[in-house]
Amino acid sequence: MAEKKEPKSEGKAEEPRVGVYVCHCGLNIAGSVNCAEVAKYAATLPHVVLAQDNRYTCSDQGQEGIKKDIKEHKLNRVVVASCSPRLHEPTFRKTCEDAGLNKYLFEMANIREHCSWVHLYDHESATEKAKDLVKMAVAKAELLQPAEEIEVPIIRKALVIGGGVAGIQSALDLADTGYKVYLVEKEPSIGGMMARIDKTFPTMDCSICILAPKMSDVGHHSNIELLANSEVTEVKGYIGNFTAKVSRRPRYVTKDCSACGECAKVCPIVTPNEFDVGLATRHAIYTLFAQAVPATYLIDMNLCLNKEGVVVCDKCMKACERKAIEYEMKPETVELGVGTIIVATGADVFDPSILPNYGYGKLANVITSLEFERLINAGGPSGGHLIRPSDMQIPRRVAFVQCVGSRSDKVGRLYCSNVCCMNTIKDSLLIKEHWPDTEIFVFYVDIRAYGKGFEDLYKRARKAGVKFIRGLPSEIKEDRRTHNLWLMGENTLQNELYKINVDMAILSVGLEARKDSETIQRLLTLSRNQDGFFLEAHPKLRPVDAATGGVFFAGCAESPKDIKDSVTQASAAAARAGILMAKGKVTVEAITPIHYQEKCTACGLCVKVCPYNALTLNKDLKKVTVAEAACGGCGTCAAECPFGALTQSHFTDGQIIAQIDAVTEHDANKKIVAFCCNWCSYAGADFAGVSRMQYPPNVRIIRTMCSGRVSPKFVERAFARGAAAVMVTGCHLGDCHYINANYQTQKRVERLWKKMEQNGLDKNRLHLLWASAAEGEKFASTVREIKPIVERVTPEEIEKARKVFEKALEDD
Amino acid sequence: MPERIKHGPLDSKNLKPSKATIHLIKDQCKGCGYCIEFCPKKVFEESEEINARGVHPPKIVDESKCLLCSFCTAVCPDFAIFVTEKKCEERC
Repeated sequence: MAEKKEPKSEGKAEEPRVGVYVCHCGLNIAGSVNCAEVAKYAATLPHVVLAQDNRYTCSDQGQEGIKKDIKEHKLNRVVVASCSPRLHEPTFRKTCEDAGLNKYLFEMANIREHCSWVHLYDHESATEKAKDLVKMAVAKAELLQPAEEIEVPIIRKALVIGGGVAGIQSALDLADTGYKVYLVEKEPSIGGMMARIDKTFPTMDCSICILAPKMSDVGHHSNIELLANSEVTEVKGYIGNFTAKVSRRPRYVTKDCSACGECAKVCPIVTPNEFDVGLATRHAIYTLFAQAVPATYLIDMNLCLNKEGVVVCDKCMKACERKAIEYEMKPETVELGVGTIIVATGADVFDPSILPNYGYGKLANVITSLEFERLINAGGPSGGHLIRPSDMQIPRRVAFVQCVGSRSDKVGRLYCSNVCCMNTIKDSLLIKEHWPDTEIFVFYVDIRAYGKGFEDLYKRARKAGVKFIRGLPSEIKEDRRTHNLWLMGENTLQNELYKINVDMAILSVGLEARKDSETIQRLLTLSRNQDGFFLEAHPKLRPVDAATGGVFFAGCAESPKDIKDSVTQASAAAARAGILMAKGKVTVEAITPIHYQEKCTACGLCVKVCPYNALTLNKDLKKVTVAEAACGGCGTCAAECPFGALTQSHFTDGQIIAQIDAVTEHDANKKIVAFCCNWCSYAGADFAGVSRMQYPPNVRIIRTMCSGRVSPKFVERAFARGAAAVMVTGCHLGDCHYINANYQTQKRVERLWKKMEQNGLDKNRLHLLWASAAEGEKFASTVREIKPIVERVTPEEIEKARKVFEKALEDD
Repeated sequence: MPERIKHGPLDSKNLKPSKATIHLIKDQCKGCGYCIEFCPKKVFEESEEINARGVHPPKIVDESKCLLCSFCTAVCPDFAIFVTEKKCEERC
């Protein structure tokens, strides 16, 4: 992390010699931007010694060209105008390094996601904008300084959060590789959703039969420490060096337990069993299911008669031959030092009781697919007999209703849950297997049998006589006397209404993000998409990495998926984590603060805003010291310092001001200067580009690592140079990638608004936007909203703002 | 774990919770009220009547709630309460 104190002399003393490469990206950029014209324009910029356009700069050929030019033309700065730096900055940085140029002397202009893709039909404006973006990049490039990255050792231990099949697979893979793994599970036993399912599609394997051996492997593996009935409460640190606090709830039963079950027989308390979705009962002392790992029983202290140390009932203790029961056990907190974290927290199932037309919860014979799994399971409450709850009889006519809580505007779950179609087909075959005469109706929207072997299973079900009817029922009504159900709706293939009588209806419920995923999101500073699932670093190329370094996803936490996909992703996540740990060290970006001692007054403002406590004030020496290893690299301290005694390496005041000045040199009164944070709003703007959301071309984006880096003087300078509007954008409050740095952003913008109001300026010209990486549309629509504000701004108002913020120009 | 338990458990009808007979020796009671205070199921409350020792002994509100933990027997300083399990003939 350390900024190299004395940069190599070549970089410093030499006159900047900038090479500019404008990429066509096939037609992705060249389709709307005249790349040749942009390159020609770039050649006229100061210090540019070489400017060219080429089809694919990221290709081997393109990269070789850059390397050759660095040597031949003695380039000491490189600017590539192509896609987002979030995609190819590492690629080109490596190219520069290969040619002997420090990678911090490279700069990128994003003319694809932020230009050609969002201004597809306005070639002229897109080209003009691209020129501006290149100009900004060149202006910054001139001021770039070489830097060396420090290496941080990686602790060769991993934390896996969640013990479903994905967490189990990740833990086993890592443990088999030879790394120590801590597997934390909230429930008393690992196994997750897969442990409750009867059979798996498309092979009809028994679910618990294939899972139980894996669970037992986890229990016995010498490299795995299983922490069941535990939750992660705090995570601190950074890639390679996380410290996680895990709180272990007491089981009140020691490891001596032989799981004989004598205790449960005598326990007087009875309550619905969560594992069986409330279809069966359990006692206050219980085990989740027969194959549970750890097998140790536990006491549910919310129900047990013994509270606050008073032993009221000791029946279980008396029944226990091995004296394994201890009512006085206390919760404990363990602190784990780990290098990598795998998030495998899984998904919840949709609760259909919010759909009144299906009557779930009111009508006894309407059940969910998860309840069905327990009923058809030989280990379930009915011993594998499919019975309907109203009279415990075997149903002769059964209906499955698809897409309950999936692909629906009405319930706000717009996505397909991936597993329900095949699950229903499997379930219908299971019924046919046991009771061949049962009539089965499946009401669907589309059947999605996309995977290996899925179509065969679908065909088998149709051959077996399962009736597939396209069109979901609009309503389910009950015959009060017989408790039979009437399903009414429209068959959209035959354009006729149906009214079908069945004994039992199964709602094929979708998957949704865990209700407590916000906790994990906050602990690990992750992002979630609009559906609530965790967002990967790149949807195609880094599908299991989180944006936070050292954190990976496995299973349904990232999106709904079946067992096979979960296991595949789990192994991928384990491999990704393994790569880091095998290397044993990681380099951290050189974006830490630079401290100018002579300007510092030891006021301590920077110390207060640092989210990482990386700055300390020595009152006696009147000195601020920077602990670079602890620094996260947000730059909030630099924005807070009123004396210019701190700045952020690679995002210095000078570099950002150069970018602002480049934007505002011409036609400033028509432009919006936007500051975007690398993790949320910049990624959101990228997402707008990837999704081709069109917005007005008058916005110019300046990237900072965090919105907390945006010093008030940057905004003031933009206005002082005549900008029509300024946007400050960052992650949502509470979601900041740098813990809480964006609260400082809010404070600063509010102070600026106040100043604008006091001086009679329209405060709408300064816009504060919180947008996540998934909210491309929010970014695009905000730019659209600001357009009329920009058009309304009069020359007098621009002039007034220039005067009010005049002081900001003095800093040069 | 879905936290929605809509239908009652299927086996709840077959459950035969043990049923208790609570025996109160009223005249032995000195009215300390420990049984009323400590019963986890709140089976007792103070009665209106006055016993031989001139105090209000407890009375049983709902015998069916008793779980047979016998904590009342344990806390009673005067050995005035004990609980027995009903024989099968009575409850089957």
